[in-house]
Amino acid sequence: MGFAEFTKTAVRNLFSKPATKNYPKVKKEFFENARGHVIFDETDCIYCSLCARKCPADAIKVDRNAKTWSIVRAGCVQCSNCVDACPKKCLSMGPEYTPVMTEKGCETYARVPDNTEDN
Amino acid sequence: MSRRSIVPFGPQHPVLPEPIHLDLVLEDERVVEAIPSIGFVHRGLEKLVEKREYTEYVYVAERICGICSFQHGSGYCQAVEAIMNVEIPPRAEFLRTIWAELSRMHSHLLWLGLLADAFGFESLFMQCWRLRERVLDIFEMTTGGRVIFSVCKVGGVRRDISSDDMKRIITVLDTIVADLKDFERVFFDNNTVKSRLCGVGVLSKEKILELGAVGPVARGSGIKLDMRKLGYAAYDKIPQVEPIIETAGDCYARCLVRLRELYQSVEIIKAAASTMPEGEISVKVTGNPNGEFFSRVEQPRGEASYYVRGNGTKFLERFRVRTPTFANLGALLATLPGCDLADVPMLVLTIDPCISCTER
Amino acid sequence: MNILTGIIYLIVAPFAGGLLAGIDRKITARMQGRQGPPILQPFYDVAKLFTKQNAVVNASQNVFIFFYLFFNVFTGFLFFSGQDVLLVTFALTLSGIFLVLCAYTVNSPFSSMGASRELAQIMSYEPAVMLSAVGFYMVKDSFSVAEIVGGNLPNVIYLPGVFAVFLYILTIKLRKSPFDISTSHHAHQEIVKGVTTEISGPSLGIIEITHWYETILIWGFVYLFFGFDSVWSLPIFAVAFVIIFLMEILIDNSSARVKWQGMFKTSWFLTATIAFLNLLVISIFM
Repeated sequence: MGFAEFTKTAVRNLFSKPATKNYPKVKKEFFENARGHVIFDETDCIYCSLCARKCPADAIKVDRNAKTWSIVRAGCVQCSNCVDACPKKCLSMGPEYTPVMTEKGCETYARVPDNTEDN
Repeated sequence: MSRRSIVPFGPQHPVLPEPIHLDLVLEDERVVEAIPSIGFVHRGLEKLVEKREYTEYVYVAERICGICSFQHGSGYCQAVEAIMNVEIPPRAEFLRTIWAELSRMHSHLLWLGLLADAFGFESLFMQCWRLRERVLDIFEMTTGGRVIFSVCKVGGVRRDISSDDMKRIITVLDTIVADLKDFERVFFDNNTVKSRLCGVGVLSKEKILELGAVGPVARGSGIKLDMRKLGYAAYDKIPQVEPIIETAGDCYARCLVRLRELYQSVEIIKAAASTMPEGEISVKVTGNPNGEFFSRVEQPRGEASYYVRGNGTKFLERFRVRTPTFANLGALLATLPGCDLADVPMLVLTIDPCISCTER
Repeated sequence: MNILTGIIYLIVAPFAGGLLAGIDRKITARMQGRQGPPILQPFYDVAKLFTKQNAVVNASQNVFIFFYLFFNVFTGFLFFSGQDVLLVTFALTLSGIFLVLCAYTVNSPFSSMGASRELAQIMSYEPAVMLSAVGFYMVKDSFSVAEIVGGNLPNVIYLPGVFAVFLYILTIKLRKSPFDISTSHHAHQEIVKGVTTEISGPSLGIIEITHWYETILIWGFVYLFFGFDSVWSLPIFAVAFVIIFLMEILIDNSSARVKWQGMFKTSWFLTATIAFLNLLVISIFM
């Protein structure tokens, strides 16, 4: 029975450094293993679309003929199932979270044409 | 006869973290009737099982709810593994136990904070959530996700915890216990807190049995009901799994049960960490499930059961979850009539509702 | 104490009150282990409120809000120009009643619930405020503020019991936990934000400014216990003010919100025992 159980903690908080960060100025460090966003490396990609089929959120779309790989960042649930499924290991997870966005756009990675005439 | 008025409580309400709607019929400040309506966050996840391969449905099952996400994933995996007669490696079982107990800790700390917020104790709320933050950091360090881990898979787990990380986890847990010891007295002894919790929403043992409540709600009324005693995952190899009970049956008792379970979870994690065998963390699973199984796990909120039926294809036929909140809603509605409006947040919170689980 | 100090109050009070609110928020934040907003945040908030659309649920609420502000400012003016302390207490109650009426007119269950609780709050603290006024009269033989803060010794020497009870109800007046029952500083309770739930935009801004005026008036009332004819009265009050202000924040941060029944019982009990006994003793010896 009492009234002052929390005062000690409150006074200690008052005289110690705040636990919160001044966010936009002080950024949080991400853990090395954090699953933040999917990174696509197109060099080895064979556009087999296995990642798209394994995606539980249907966030990935692969066009085999046009050689494009696209992802809806806002739809991705960061389960990294596509990373496990990729036979060519060209998908990986980066620790940084997907940045805030104003539009739920679709990010498309088209194959860069190899030195064609009009390039 | 005083004037009756109806106060809408939820689905969006500052002290109610969950999307449930209660129409509270009041006479002055006394609740005479509570009419619930649910269905605000139904997402059709059970139906989705027919459209996703059973191996990738784990990630959907985990997203039934953000707080007890790991148990949803492991409960589903257990069921599928049982149908397919897959024996998962012992290390994976221990890892599942550790993550499940860490989940319980983060859920209970979250709950303590929400309760503090409901009785207007903002600084206590922030203190609880600050401790929870450390648990979330452990999750992010070991699994890669803060709330939804995606580490469970059919046949084991996807990530291992190195012995260095395990040591770091134990150190963090020790700091959590030290800090928790520091302010647990606020919940135990503070007059203003006790005036809001003691004797509020009393549920007798008989009433609980009649309503079929589970988890800390049942344990707060003196019923030894804890699915961990079934010995799934590695719980059968850990002696500390003894249900924690209180007998008063009021909000205070339910709060104490959860507080004491926090310490128990730390003990379980430590025991699991010291006895965890080395070895593989997953086995390769081939073929498709054919058959049906009921698996039961103890979530932070109580018993959850998962029914899975496969038909030999890679798509399951039926998946059904009975979540603890669904079982506890009856207890909530039994306590509401006759209480003060000021008590409603305590009553709603002490059953620890997770509507997003309940509606799937 | 004359018309001039009254006019100074009219100009300075909102700034001082806002600044106090800002300091309060900063210290509260630090006690909770947060960084907290800038000290001037309350001013930014109110400035923003005035840029918003004025959504009014019921046109009569504007009238009540105006009178709430008017009587609050008027009371403060009376107080700081050294007028009758009894008139001050009653006029302040009147101002509070206008806020209650405003809450009732908007016809929202949260708001009316808050209004009935606000009435319970007024009922809880009013006896103690009355007894303080009576105590000042018994000590200084006058209800005039100008004379109450005069004399050879501060009133608190004669009225320690009354002052203790006044400190208790100060928590109610400042709307701090455990007594932030009718409306709290943030919309986080079962009746959302109580009396001000349905008030938004510029109207809410006016209510905030009124709160600032009221805060200064309340601290002025605390000064009545410390003021006497000496250069020391202000420094003594300054020390007392800092201690009481910090204690209020500390109590706010280390207690849960109690139910209104508890507040009502305890404040009346304390008033009827400690404050009343204090007056009894004074009436015998003076």
